Amino acid sequence: MIAEIGHLLLIGSLVVSFLAGFSPLLRFLTKDDFFYEVISPLNNLVFLLIFLSFVSLIYSFLIDDFSVAYIANNSNTLLPVYYKLAATWGAHEGSLLLWILCLCFWSTSYFFLNRKKDVEFVALTLSVLNQIIFAFIAFTLFTSNPFERLLPIAPFEGADLNPLLQDFAFTIHPPLLYLGYSGLAVPFALSLSALISKKIDSIWARDARLWSLLSSGFLTLGIALGSWWAYYELGWGGWWFWDPVENAAFVPWLISVAMFHSLIVTERRGLYKNWSILLSILAFAASILGTFLVRSGILTSVHAFALDPERGVFILAIFAYFILGSLIFYSIMNNKLPGRSTYNMISKEFGFLLNNILLVILAISIMFGTLFPLIYEAIYDGEQISVGAPYYEVLILPFAIALSFLQGVGLYLGWSSTREFNFLNRVLIESFSLFIVMSLLVFLIFGTLNWGTFLAIAMFSWIFSGNFIDMVYQSSQVKELKLVLLRRLGMISAHLGTAFLILGVGIVTTFSLEREVVLQKGESYQLGSTNFVFKEIRESKGPNYSVRSAAIEIRKGGLVDEISAEKRNYLASNQILTEAAIKPTLLQDYYVTLGDQVGDGKWSFKLQIKPFIRWIWFGAILIALGTFVSSFRQTKRL
Amino acid sequence: MHPLRKQRLYVVLSILLGTVIAALLVFKGLSENINLFYSPSDLQKAQINTQIRVGGMVRKDSIIRVENSLRVSFVITDFEEDLVVNYDGILPDLFSEEAGIVAKGKINEEGIFVANEVLAKHDENYMPPEVAKALKDKK
Repeated sequence: MIAEIGHLLLIGSLVVSFLAGFSPLLRFLTKDDFFYEVISPLNNLVFLLIFLSFVSLIYSFLIDDFSVAYIANNSNTLLPVYYKLAATWGAHEGSLLLWILCLCFWSTSYFFLNRKKDVEFVALTLSVLNQIIFAFIAFTLFTSNPFERLLPIAPFEGADLNPLLQDFAFTIHPPLLYLGYSGLAVPFALSLSALISKKIDSIWARDARLWSLLSSGFLTLGIALGSWWAYYELGWGGWWFWDPVENAAFVPWLISVAMFHSLIVTERRGLYKNWSILLSILAFAASILGTFLVRSGILTSVHAFALDPERGVFILAIFAYFILGSLIFYSIMNNKLPGRSTYNMISKEFGFLLNNILLVILAISIMFGTLFPLIYEAIYDGEQISVGAPYYEVLILPFAIALSFLQGVGLYLGWSSTREFNFLNRVLIESFSLFIVMSLLVFLIFGTLNWGTFLAIAMFSWIFSGNFIDMVYQSSQVKELKLVLLRRLGMISAHLGTAFLILGVGIVTTFSLEREVVLQKGESYQLGSTNFVFKEIRESKGPNYSVRSAAIEIRKGGLVDEISAEKRNYLASNQILTEAAIKPTLLQDYYVTLGDQVGDGKWSFKLQIKPFIRWIWFGAILIALGTFVSSFRQTKRL
Repeated sequence: MHPLRKQRLYVVLSILLGTVIAALLVFKGLSENINLFYSPSDLQKAQINTQIRVGGMVRKDSIIRVENSLRVSFVITDFEEDLVVNYDGILPDLFSEEAGIVAKGKINEEGIFVANEVLAKHDENYMPPEVAKALKDKK
């Protein structure tokens, strides 16, 4: 019964979002402003309907209504209540509904932040958003309805949520990521309504910047959380795999970062208007393309659920309508944009331009690698290939170096031209001294150094001194420093986050240790200066699984800790899951995975030491915090 | 030169430079890091001692472990041809008899596939798309 209500609410929201989305056409025909005024209440109604529909899906999960096919496939009576809740977005159908809910949340937030503004502009923006909402509701209803019943005979028991997803990080990873993905629809809608109403000014840029900052922040959190989850849950000890789906989130992230930087120039100097609009279209395109890659199953990936061409075609149709439509529209309208002024080559404008060129070219090259297997298959008649991680590693390094170079000098540049630029004294001495100190520290910790580490430390020092140390050095008084830091808080946090992330990546890639070994009870293995001692095997039970765990003692000088590496057997699905034992410390993680029994009392283990890996996620959190601080500032200036 | 012209020239030049560098990197990266996929029956087309990927179903009763070590050998099949795979390492959780797997590695002179990575994907109903396609083509 509740599921039917949810289904009806979803159909209702389809109709209402259609009305809100195409109301401007009626306004165009009748010239009656009523058709503008009606859009925002309709928009809020869509949000309410979707919210209630989502709640009824959650409710059906909580009461174990296995007559609903989606719930029968993804839940189980044994599943703890918290995971029943999270199972709502555990697979394709429910996660689509969550995507729509996030988008509606943004469209309604947009309305509340702008309700006192120009009625026509807000109405146009909301109508574009509602066309997108309409398209995705239609997609859900026609190809992937979460409320579909398994009638007449409903199963007594559900098939269970995939054990890998029964995990805290997973439960918040999709909402965060979807808030990021769907948030990119707002700058897109703002651009279209700006093109229609020809109002592309600094107010528009401020507004668009707020939404691109927010999306970017949520994408950062979502991606970082996904990386952390993969690290501890998949048991390989990796934190980034260049999997198509990771790329599908990384590409929109890169473009959104390019966009909010370009919008700074549009806001302050009235430049790069066309470019900012094009970026907002590209970012939304990347967001839909990401959804397409994840949902159609055309690429081999840990996230690919099932091969379903019908869904793929539907998303491609949505893509064609919005992206081709807006690009054609853009090419017709963009020539009429005013605003040209000149700037010097050593200026903020040019710095931002280079930043954008690098980010966008990088994004396109990553996308190319991700789609290349499809292109290859089409050309070579079904020959199948995969593009290995080294492709992306080769690609990203020069871009990362160039971007961190810009990040370090960006703050010394002035608008339009740069007057004093005492390069040697400031940047070079400050960053070089930091470089020496950091290199010594790393050498003291690990007892060795190599080119990769030097490079990472150099990039770290360069960014760190350009975004922090120089400000300390230049301010004569504490009060002045406080003001400078506070004014630039968001930017400093985000840029320092990048510095920490780069340092973490550099060190974990160069200094990780790993070995697969066979150990007998009581036997130990020395990896680097750490001893791993295999104590014993224990058997126990969890709420919906049974556990076999190996107790491992970590000794480095004295005892560090005893950890337990598990193999779980999930009863409902009879699926085995390895749960790695991880001992995190500030400087390194100890990581043990239990393998199979290979002889009498002998077990295989994978032992790893991952130095500085936490710094990667710490950096990502700082980046996200920075974007949130900046977007909060931006709302005050609206 | 007119300052606006000059400015445009610089912009165009930097875009061009960026694109050329990226194109070179893409070309270099792709030429070195593409792994072709084969099913056991079209393996004769594959070069020996080159990194490739193979996929198929693990044949029943074919898994042989070497006592007290991580070495393991098994047979994958596409129901037409069989291929012996040797691997030295911990197998993934979902690796089992009659599961679809993908292995990355090289084929040696004796026609045995020496894997350096074995992937079995996440869900018991899940079949890697290449394996599903290879099996479907053979049926």
